[in-house]
Amino acid sequence: MSGDSLPLPLPLSGFAADSCEATTLYRELRKPLLRYLVGLGLSADEAQDVVQDAFLGLHMHLTSRGSQQNIRSWLFRVAHNGARNRQLSYYRRFGTPLDPDLESISEGATPEQVVLEKEKLRRVGKAIRLLTESERECLLLRAAGLRYREIGEVLEIPTSTVGDTVDRAIKKLAEKCNV
Amino acid sequence: MCDFSGKLVAWMDRELSDDEAADLEQHVRGCPDCLKNVDAYEQASRAFVAYCDAAMKKKTRRRLPHWVPLLSSAAAAAVLLVVFQPASVKQIPVRPQVADASPAIILETAPRAVKKGHRRHAIATMKTPNANWGMAEPTIQIAIPVEAMFPPGAIPEGITFLAELSMAVDGSVQGLRLQQ
Repeated sequence: MSGDSLPLPLPLSGFAADSCEATTLYRELRKPLLRYLVGLGLSADEAQDVVQDAFLGLHMHLTSRGSQQNIRSWLFRVAHNGARNRQLSYYRRFGTPLDPDLESISEGATPEQVVLEKEKLRRVGKAIRLLTESERECLLLRAAGLRYREIGEVLEIPTSTVGDTVDRAIKKLAEKCNV
Repeated sequence: MCDFSGKLVAWMDRELSDDEAADLEQHVRGCPDCLKNVDAYEQASRAFVAYCDAAMKKKTRRRLPHWVPLLSSAAAAAVLLVVFQPASVKQIPVRPQVADASPAIILETAPRAVKKGHRRHAIATMKTPNANWGMAEPTIQIAIPVEAMFPPGAIPEGITFLAELSMAVDGSVQGLRLQQ
C-alpha cells in the first residue's frame, strides 16, 4: 500500500497567509470533523465546541510556526483527543453512538420506500454495533476522506493495521447488511 | 476465494501502488466473484455514510421552542398551588353552565397577574376529566402575556391563544395544544 496523502500546502509567508490557510481548512474540514465527532458519540453542541477548540489550536500552532506537515491528520487527531477527553463515562464511550432519526426519512419518498429505507438503516445500525471501537473509528475517518496513513496518525496505529481494520470492517458490514 | 480478495477494499480506496492497482484491475474485470464483492463493499460503504448522515441529522435537529419550558414551568407551579393550597388562595366553585359539562374549580390568586381587558395574553388551561362533582379535579387558568412566550413582533396584536395541557403526577407536561 502506498498510503499517499493528499498534501495541503501551507505557505510560510506570514501570519496572514497562515490565517487564510486556516480559513480554507475550516471550510473544507469543519463538516467532516463534525460528522466524525458525532459518530464518536458527542452531541452536536459538544462536537461544535471540540471543532472550535481544534481550529483554535491550529491557529496557535500555525502562528507559533509549528510543523506544517500532515495538517489534516493533525486536526483530526486534536479533535479525536478532545472528544475522548469529554467521554469519561462508560456509557457514553461504549454505548451506541450512532443513532439515526428513523422518523425523519420521509422527504419525497413513497411509504414503501420509507419502510425499505428504515429497514435498511436498522440493519446497518445492527451491523455497526457489532463492529469493534477501532473498526468504527477507522470507518468514520475513512468516511471523512482520510487516507490510511492519515487514519493511522490520528489513531496512532500503523498504516498496515488501518488497512487490515478497514478491510475487516467493510467485509463485516457487507456480510451483516446482506447488501 | 481468489488471491486478490484481500486487496479489494484497499484498491477501492486507491491505497495500492500503481503496479498493484493495475494488476488487480485487470483481474477484477475477468473475475465475477471479485466484481460481486466490490459491488457489495461499495454498497456497505455507502450505507455506512448514509447511516452516519442520518445520525448527524438527528443530533443537529432543531430543539423545542423557548416558550415550551416556560409553559411547563407555569404548569408545574400550578400543580404546586393545587397540592399545597396556600391560605391566600380562594376557592370558588363554579357551576357548570351546560348540563353535561364537567364542573371545575377556578383558583385565583390576588392580585391577578393580568389586568382585566389586557389586549394580548395567552391563557394556559389545565383540564382533567371529572367523574363527579365531589371528587372533581380543579381546572386552573393561568394568564401568561404573549410577550413572555414569543419574541416581539412574532404575533400580530389582538391575537390570543388558548393552551390546553395535561400533566403527569410528577408535574411534567404530557400533552400541549395551542389554539388560536
